[in-house]
Amino acid sequence: MPEEDTFSEAPVIIAKGLRKMYGPHLALDDVNLEIPRGAVGILGPNGAGKSTLFKCLLGLITTTSGEGSVLGLDIRTQGEQIRSRIGYMPEYNSLDPNLFAIDHVRYAGELLGMNSRHATQRAHEVLEYVGLKDQRYRKIETFSTGMLQATKLACALVHDPDILICDEPTNGLDQRARKFMLQTLDRTVREGNRSVLMSSHVMDDVQELCDRIVMIHKGKIVIQSDIGDLVEQVDKEVEMVIWGGASKMEAELDSLGLQTRRLGRVIRVKVEDESTIENALKAAVSADVQIRQMKEYEPDLEDIFLLVMDKLGSQIKSTEDLLTVEHTGGD
Amino acid sequence: MSDRQVEIEGGVTRMEAAFGSGDGDEKATAVVAKSQASLGQIFEQKYRPWGGELGPRWMRNYAIFRHHVYGVFTSKGHRQYHPMVRLLILVIFLASLTPIPMLFLSSLIGDEGGFFQKMWGINRYNLWGQALGYFPRNLCMWPLLTAVVVGGMISDDRQHGTSAIYFSRPISRMDYVSMKYLSVAIILGFVIVFSYFAYYTSAIVFKAEGWAYLADTLPIFLGGVLAATILVITYTSIGLALSSISQSRFFAAIGFLSIIYGTKLVSLLVELQFETTFMYAMSPYDCLAHLGQILLGIPSNYDHPVSISVVSLIIMNSAAIWLLVSRVTSLEVTRE
Repeated sequence: MPEEDTFSEAPVIIAKGLRKMYGPHLALDDVNLEIPRGAVGILGPNGAGKSTLFKCLLGLITTTSGEGSVLGLDIRTQGEQIRSRIGYMPEYNSLDPNLFAIDHVRYAGELLGMNSRHATQRAHEVLEYVGLKDQRYRKIETFSTGMLQATKLACALVHDPDILICDEPTNGLDQRARKFMLQTLDRTVREGNRSVLMSSHVMDDVQELCDRIVMIHKGKIVIQSDIGDLVEQVDKEVEMVIWGGASKMEAELDSLGLQTRRLGRVIRVKVEDESTIENALKAAVSADVQIRQMKEYEPDLEDIFLLVMDKLGSQIKSTEDLLTVEHTGGD
Repeated sequence: MSDRQVEIEGGVTRMEAAFGSGDGDEKATAVVAKSQASLGQIFEQKYRPWGGELGPRWMRNYAIFRHHVYGVFTSKGHRQYHPMVRLLILVIFLASLTPIPMLFLSSLIGDEGGFFQKMWGINRYNLWGQALGYFPRNLCMWPLLTAVVVGGMISDDRQHGTSAIYFSRPISRMDYVSMKYLSVAIILGFVIVFSYFAYYTSAIVFKAEGWAYLADTLPIFLGGVLAATILVITYTSIGLALSSISQSRFFAAIGFLSIIYGTKLVSLLVELQFETTFMYAMSPYDCLAHLGQILLGIPSNYDHPVSISVVSLIIMNSAAIWLLVSRVTSLEVTRE
């Protein structure tokens, strides 16, 4: 397969009928993917096959059947070339606590074949880029979670890769560090014209950074689409804040044949036609409750995710169910 | 002018004019440009592309090798060896060179055929002892040296998840394990084989020996080099295999010492009880010592044939390398 130009508009990742089995267990099932340049979010519950997909794309494991290419390089035979052009930021800690940040990033560059002088120079640049300029000469064991994540990102960016694969980049970060991480990734896409493939359980992060999502469930790709297109497909709803008897209101709405979703005193009603709002107001009168606020509800990625998971029959009530102890820090 | 006289108004600083051109009825102020406070862009994030070329495979492998070997000499920028570990390596290295000053002393006092020459001069027994003698080298020095060097070589990668930084890059597991192996072997080789070489050459230099002496002793010397090299390979294989199965550097170190000393002790007890040396075939040290005796041409103090020791060494090395390879194969990129 011919290698692709960095600035080409062709998909950077292509997979056709990709299948991976671990013994009798099917990890990836007939995966067909076309990932264009830009920021793409990979979503899916634990065990969905995200990590297996990443390993296949990095050329680290042999696929059972199917084919694929990354930047025009065959994932079955050109794994080393692929890994030279990809920056991988692992989810879990992968840093030597005894090294200074600058030395770790330099070593990460040298492991890619950069000579020591270039790797050192580049390590200074990327550490500055990820906001660790003043912490370059600190031992990694003294770093906070945010600084560790930033160092991992610096290691992944040291050779200016065409594609950056980030496994849960905002994992364990506080609000400020999370915002900075997303801003850095966004800048890498917009300014650096690089592609970012990001897996995350935090829908807000994916929505903030990515234009497109790929959703995996039980080894299958269930959605690959632009986020905007998906949002349009979700039913329109009106959100009401009820005071003085949300249960009564819910019952009244149900009796009028309206589809509702309720979270405490917030009730969302599916907009069927123009009479929906009028019917909702009538229901409020009948139930003798106050509507303190009424607005059109804009669905977000979490709604899409839950909707899809619901259709697939997965027992997930919210994205919090997807989080493990590593994500929550034990809280 | 005092601070009280300065008015901040409309984005400019108005200050009292010392000398004005007006009639004096208006408020005597002068408008001056406000000195722009440098609020500063403390951090300007800017993506900088890199247009360099990545080097070939040998550069990547050399980086792994250098990272582990240079760390013994300098703590800056390379793998961290604890200062006490580095001190221990230095002490062992210096201790392994102790025959050299004795040879120097011998040549200085003209001790031809005397005590110094007998104890430290070049002969089959002393060359064997330099690499394979039990006390002090294989009791107090080489196993300790191996234990502290191999301790965290792979187990640290397991513990910290740093295997991901290797395997997410164009480094194969073969490159990874072979460079780790080479790093340990070079450090051990530097102390064990280099000290052996230095001992032999210093004897020639201090005694001003000629070509005839060299021709006589070179085969014995080379036999010793071969035996020392096999010792380095065997200790490296066993040590790295233990390092690869654990997340603790102490496990690898203690495990290695237990194997070396434990098998020796058990074999000794069996010999004392049953008067057979056969059990020494399971002791890595004794197999090496037995083979070394044959290579250097000195009488063996084991009853069983050397072929058993050779086969035992092959099995030990094969098993250790198999374990090492299988454990490195299981190292993960996505999680550990």
